[in-house]
Amino acid sequence: MAAAAAAAKVWGSSRGLGKAGHLLLRRLGARGLARYHPQRQEQQHFPSLDDKPQFPGASAEFVDKLEFIQPNVISGIPVYRVMDRQGQIINPSEDPHLPQETVLKFYKSMTLLNTMDRILYESQRQGRISFYMTNYGEEGTHVGSAAALDSTDLVFGQYREAGVLMYRDYPLELFMAQCYGNVSDSGKGRQMPVHYGCKERHFVTISSPLATQIPQAVGAAYAAKRANANRVVICYFGEGAASEGDAHAGFNFAATLECPVIFFCRNNGYAISTPTSEQYRGDGIAARGPGYGILSIRVDGNDVFAVYNATKEARRRAVAENQPFLIEAMTYRIGHHSTSDDSSAYRSVDEVNYWDKQDHPISRLRHYLQGRGWWDDEQEKAWRKQSRKKVMEAFEQAERKPKPNPNLLFSDVYQEMPAQLRKQQESLARHLQTYGEHYPLDHFEK
Amino acid sequence: MAAFAATAGKLLGLRAVGTEGRWLRLRGTGLQRALLQPVSVTGDEALTRQVAHFTFQPDPEPQEYGQTQKMNLFQAITSALDNSLAKDPTAGKDRVFNTPLCEQGIVGFGIGIAVTGATAIAEIQFADYIFPAFDQIVNEAAKYRYRSGDLFNCGSLTIRAPWGCVGHGALYHSQSPEAFFAHCPGIKVVVPRSPFQAKGLLLSCIEDKNPCIFFEPKILYRAAVEQVPLEPYNIPLSQAEVIQEGSDVTLVAWGTQVHVIREVASMAQEKLGVSCEVIDLKTILPWDMDTVCKSVIKTGRLLISHEAPLTGGFASEISSTVQEECFLNLEAPISRVCGYDTPFPHIFEPFYIPDKWKCYDALRKMINY
Repeated sequence: MAAAAAAAKVWGSSRGLGKAGHLLLRRLGARGLARYHPQRQEQQHFPSLDDKPQFPGASAEFVDKLEFIQPNVISGIPVYRVMDRQGQIINPSEDPHLPQETVLKFYKSMTLLNTMDRILYESQRQGRISFYMTNYGEEGTHVGSAAALDSTDLVFGQYREAGVLMYRDYPLELFMAQCYGNVSDSGKGRQMPVHYGCKERHFVTISSPLATQIPQAVGAAYAAKRANANRVVICYFGEGAASEGDAHAGFNFAATLECPVIFFCRNNGYAISTPTSEQYRGDGIAARGPGYGILSIRVDGNDVFAVYNATKEARRRAVAENQPFLIEAMTYRIGHHSTSDDSSAYRSVDEVNYWDKQDHPISRLRHYLQGRGWWDDEQEKAWRKQSRKKVMEAFEQAERKPKPNPNLLFSDVYQEMPAQLRKQQESLARHLQTYGEHYPLDHFEK
Repeated sequence: MAAFAATAGKLLGLRAVGTEGRWLRLRGTGLQRALLQPVSVTGDEALTRQVAHFTFQPDPEPQEYGQTQKMNLFQAITSALDNSLAKDPTAGKDRVFNTPLCEQGIVGFGIGIAVTGATAIAEIQFADYIFPAFDQIVNEAAKYRYRSGDLFNCGSLTIRAPWGCVGHGALYHSQSPEAFFAHCPGIKVVVPRSPFQAKGLLLSCIEDKNPCIFFEPKILYRAAVEQVPLEPYNIPLSQAEVIQEGSDVTLVAWGTQVHVIREVASMAQEKLGVSCEVIDLKTILPWDMDTVCKSVIKTGRLLISHEAPLTGGFASEISSTVQEECFLNLEAPISRVCGYDTPFPHIFEPFYIPDKWKCYDALRKMINY
């Protein structure tokens, strides 16, 4: 039954079962015979049967020399860049020629993010928020890619892509509200800091489990394709998350189901304390793309124009051709993994300083801006003061606001609240009536 | 061996299972004999494959949903899917498709589709293989709405999988994993007992604004046949059904096991003069506590039965809740008749499953407590 069905698949499903079965038996019979058997010679259906492999699983030539393919890790996929480390355009034909206003927006987004990171990292150290993750060194990957997308393209992130939201003008007030879990948090105080989400800006809420967003992004892209939405989905993840099974699943589904999705890997050298040498043995993440049949590129993640160019082209083609693209943005995680990490335990201060001082996306862009006469030290000073002031104002506001009503602990588990849960909610309310003094009710909305 | 025999049976065009769930005695030529008759023989009747442990009892033809057609369980499910697909005017083979073999990918992909608002119905080939998708289901699908403050959700996702014992499925084609998911707020878990129930419940799952898992008793795919409406209709979720009223004992089950306890109810009436109230739970999460408790308050005795292993099985949840809510009404300890705490065995299936004799014996003990 199964064999005949397989035959029907190969030879055409329009044939009746019996005929396909008969056909299959006949062909197998011929194949089973020795090469020069007279009966076989008569079967001239596939004259090239002997010359080319017929396996359904691969399209390839025969080879008669035993040789294993050597993975190329000494000289891997090259790193595409537009600017050198001093912010000079290397190849003028690759210059995206972005207007001053746009490039200034790049710069201001990256620096504002940097300023917000400094203040919120400190606020965790002071016990004001419970946890924080900085984006130091990776601002270029966020802003360059975000700028290349349409504002309605759907974003699935991992947790270190706040610059994408920043570029999409997510207000400081809401970043902070989420970190503080206060009444203004659109996430209703349910998650740890930096788990942002914004429906209007098409940024799907972050979740802690790694790589789970990858197959989800692919499904969303498939739905966008079916809806003829002319929309791309971008999916960010780190080189560590790329080791998860979900990453493999996502890549394979995207290619086989022809989904307009951009896989954007931030290869920043570390997954907490695991360096890339312990994360993979192949040529990074970009080299995996071709294994799935995915067009792939490796770019200098600290070069905002390289990131921009690659993402722009990937977007154009992903939507036009309904296929996935893989961009591996090489960068460096200058900060600790999070406020729960002290990276001096596993890497040298010198290494970190090199990236901070010698190859930073913000300084490279600043050199470019200054070279174009679009920025100078005075503007830099003024902007630093202004951005810090903006952040501090938002910060102070966030500090003062109360937390949401504890009833919000119980809603949104389902669209409608089940009876059991309502009972539990009532039981907490009763409990607080008697034991309320032992709970921080003063900080919460009534 | 059993699977090979089934294939051989199919190839030879033999219908192995009748609507009563009985295996026909297979006589015939040497090939069948070699495949289907064991080496040792007891008495003059050779041991053939196990007689099914249940008798499917069709419900009366539904009147309120228009024209009906005789359908088995899988036909009813197909009918539900056809009705659901018909709602989407955009035709195309890209609506029903194969994916690479990867359950975590299937469910993750389905979640992504649902996040955009489109309806996704993801099939896992056997419930036994749902575990690679456990992270996506528990950590993602179930928590999507809550963690985003209702900015995002994947309510239009339904996962369906064949479930439960089938006579020869062994460890990896027989599992009933509902208890794993019962512990996960945010998803719904549903198990139908019949074709009519399956279509209505599946349509409700598909239309429900929360991610749902729909487990289909595979042994009923062909064995259960009844009249099912052609048009779409909904059977509400989280509502248990008292399919037979009684006064002395409450029997609770879901899926295939409902037919077992139905028979136990007849046995109890016949042999012991005991009147049983039979409840099909239908939805495991969120489950209908009120119907079960109301029944136990009336009868004072509760027996819950499922194929899944005893420890941590869903009967424990029901039992714990009922003793909290109905303690003073209980005349006897609550009885759970379940699979043993072992993986689901192959050749020992007849001994493993909570059949009518085990249920009957437990009931008898409860009556005599």
